[in-house]
This record gives sequence, structure tokens and C-alpha cells, in this order.
Amino acid sequence: MSFDADVIVVGGGLAGLSAGITANREGVSTLVLERGEYSGAKNVSGGRIYVHALRNLVNIDDAPLEKPIVRETYEISCGSRKLNFSFYDPETRNSYSVLRAKFDPWLAKKAEEEGVLISYETLVYNAERDVNGITLKTNRGDLRAKLVIEADGVTAGISRYLGIRSLSPDSLMLGVKEVVKPDNVPEEGEAKVLVGYLNGLLGGGFMYVNQDSLSIGATVKVNSLQEEKILARDVVEDLRAKLKVEGEVLEYSAHLIPYYGFNKLPPLSAPNVLVTGDAAGLLINDGFVIRGMDLAIGSGMVAGKASKVILNQGDPSKTEVYEKMLAESFVLRDMRTASRAFQLMNNERLFKTYPELLCNVLARMFTVEGERKTLMNVMVEETKSRGLTLTQMIRDLMKVV
Amino acid sequence: MDLIKRLSLNKYRVDKESHIRVNLDICRTCSEKPCIKVCPAGTYERSGDVIEVHYERCLECGAALVACPFSAITFKFPEGGVSFRFG
Repeated sequence: MSFDADVIVVGGGLAGLSAGITANREGVSTLVLERGEYSGAKNVSGGRIYVHALRNLVNIDDAPLEKPIVRETYEISCGSRKLNFSFYDPETRNSYSVLRAKFDPWLAKKAEEEGVLISYETLVYNAERDVNGITLKTNRGDLRAKLVIEADGVTAGISRYLGIRSLSPDSLMLGVKEVVKPDNVPEEGEAKVLVGYLNGLLGGGFMYVNQDSLSIGATVKVNSLQEEKILARDVVEDLRAKLKVEGEVLEYSAHLIPYYGFNKLPPLSAPNVLVTGDAAGLLINDGFVIRGMDLAIGSGMVAGKASKVILNQGDPSKTEVYEKMLAESFVLRDMRTASRAFQLMNNERLFKTYPELLCNVLARMFTVEGERKTLMNVMVEETKSRGLTLTQMIRDLMKVV
Repeated sequence: MDLIKRLSLNKYRVDKESHIRVNLDICRTCSEKPCIKVCPAGTYERSGDVIEVHYERCLECGAALVACPFSAITFKFPEGGVSFRFG
């Protein structure tokens, strides 16, 4: 049986394009399949990319990024009380707000200029493995490859079709988002993390400043949506009303977010398959940064390099080397570093107990009523009244440290 | 802003056939219908003791793959479907 390409990359988003570009540079015959009319047509992100990995892939001088994020803001709301703080660093160019339907086509064009073949409007609806490779069932007929790089996003279709994966609502978050054009867009790029704005749903809100718009949205654990009385469709509108952001709504979108963490990662490879990006559950949330796109690019690049090594070894079913290379790269190293902090970010206490506890402690410290208590005593009382101990709280805090 | 208005901001190429299938026998046995709450596009609407599927609204977020605890929903991506302008 003949092959349509040595390597077929399923998905033309950030992971897929990075894999396609890298494999092509390695001299491997490569084909990228994208189900959208263009790369980015089906992609949604919260809206911030850390560009270190992108810089290693291509020259980003003309990249259609939105604004450099120079202000990091946290807003914690507990009823009418609010705590917010910002870190401002005007010189940094470490991360940018981004809109994927603008950005991904630019990267796809870069790939095509280097000779990467991208087949658009190509939907893979099944995959079968045989002794020599993988056959992909697509709306354009069967396509065969020795090696498949799976870059089909969080729903991991290829892994599911091959039976190495199933999805579960407690490892997934739903992101819902609006792009809004307010009367005045802030001059400087800002990223806001919003805690306590989601009526008790497990998750958080976000806001990013783009060139001429704002990205406003929320990420919510799917199992929390299943249990609570709040409709996913109302989450962003409700958040926007609370933030009092007015303006023309340009887009309403939604996307699942992988929320596995290093200790619960899905299979990263299988015979004849390398899994990358969201499909591999690569997402980091350590309390300071929420990253997915740079991990997608990083893992795609590693998969592209690994494909050459695997093909040279002569047996495309032996894919372990990819996992070894990924473990040596920043992708899994950073996933590992963040694993304890991630556990806290996945903990109900963080969403439900701590914001309100913090507000109460502060409210008491800023109030004079005749009997002054030390901060320590106030903290002990407030943790106790919530069935927590100070030790538990410190243990949680240490996870981030 | 009303949900349908918000959805109409996106470009859709609606497939001739629904990419979402519901096993009505399973659906009938479920009183909670969490799929209605989880879907950000209002694709699932209560209709008697089952649900009606407005597949043309789908934002292809993938939540339908896990929205039903009883696996009554079979979801594949559509051939056409939504195209985002901003993302």
C-alpha cells in the first residue's frame, strides 16, 4: 500500500503548523490537514501568547499580534467588596494579546512559503492503524501515512478513534468569550484575572486588551456547569455586566480547555502517533501564568524533529523517542514544575473559600471597632469559622511557592 | 445581548445534516438534562421529556462530547460549521 505522505499532521493550528514547519525543514514529506476554511477559523483562545517558543520557530517582526501585555491585574470580588492589585512592567515583550483567526493564517502563510502543504476544509472523521501506518478517513477520501502527528485540539479525535483516549468532564474547562469594542480601548496591553465573578461556578474570568477591542470571558469546569443552575450561554454576558464593560460585541465564541496537569497527562504517543498541543493536554496554570499556545508550538516543534528520527530508525510504530525528547524540552519540564501549583488551581477552595476569606480578613484589618486583634488572630478565626486550619491554608499556599 | 444575536455575529456554513445525534431512549430517562446548561450555544432545548438539537447554532467547542453523563449525545465535527473572525 502506498502512502500519501510520510507524516500527516492532523490540525492546522499552532501545534500542527509548528510540527509541519519543523518536519518539512527536516526534509520529511509532510501534509497538514485543517478542517476549517483557513487556519484559525475553528480556533479560540483566551487571548494571550507567550512568544518565546514562537520566536524559535519563525521571525515574528511582522506577526499580527495585538498588544504586548505590560500590566498583570488580579481582581478578587466578594459581593460588594473587591481587592485588586497590578504589576506593571512597561519594558516587557514576553507575551502579547492575540486573536487566533488573525494570527493562525499568518503562521500558515509562513509555513506555505517554506513549502508546507496544507489541505483546508479537510475533516478527519476516523483513523485506523495497520501494520505499516495509519489510514485517516476524511471527507476527501482516505489518506495514509507512516506517522500521524495529532494536533487536532482538546477533543483529541485521533486518540479517541484509535481507542487510546476518552474524555471526562472533570479534566476539561469550558471557555466562553466575547470580543467587544468599547468606546475607548486602553492604550497599553493588560491581562486581568478575575476571581469571584462567576456566581459560584468553579472557574475564573479573564480580560485581555487587544489593538482595538477587548477579549472578555471565563473558563469554567465542565462538571461544575453540569451541577450548578447557571447556563453556560449566560456566563459572559453576566460577567460583562458585572465589569460594566459596554460597547459593540464583535464576536461570541467558546472552546474547551484541557485541564489535566502533569500528573494526569493523557498518552503523549502511541504506535505511529505523536500527540501535541491541546490534544496532549498541555496547559499550565501556576497562579501567575496560564499557558497553552507556547506549549503547543513547543510540542509541535519537538514532534516535527522526532518524526525525522523515528522515520530514520525504520520502524514508525516505535515512537517512544518523541516522549523522551518532549521530556527534555521546556514543555514537559515546565509542566512538571507547575504540577503542585496546578493542583491548587484545580482546588475548589481556591474558587470558593479563599477569595471570601481574604476579603473578610482585610475588611477586619481595615476596620477599627475598639478591640484590635493581630493579623494572625484574625486569620486563625476566619480560617476556623470555615472549617479550615491555618496549616491547611499554608500548605495550599506552599504549592504555589 | 441576546444569544441568537450573539451567534449571528459568526459566519456559519450549515451542513445539510446534523453532526449531532441524540439517543432519545437514553435522553428520556434523564430528568436533569445537564447538556442544556453546559452548551454555550443553546444547541440543546428541552422538548417534552427529550431534547431538540439546533445543530446550526453549534460553536464546535466540544463540550457536547462530555456534556451528557449518560453518553446519549454523539458528536462529530461538521464539514462546514462555524468560522471565527477573531478567535
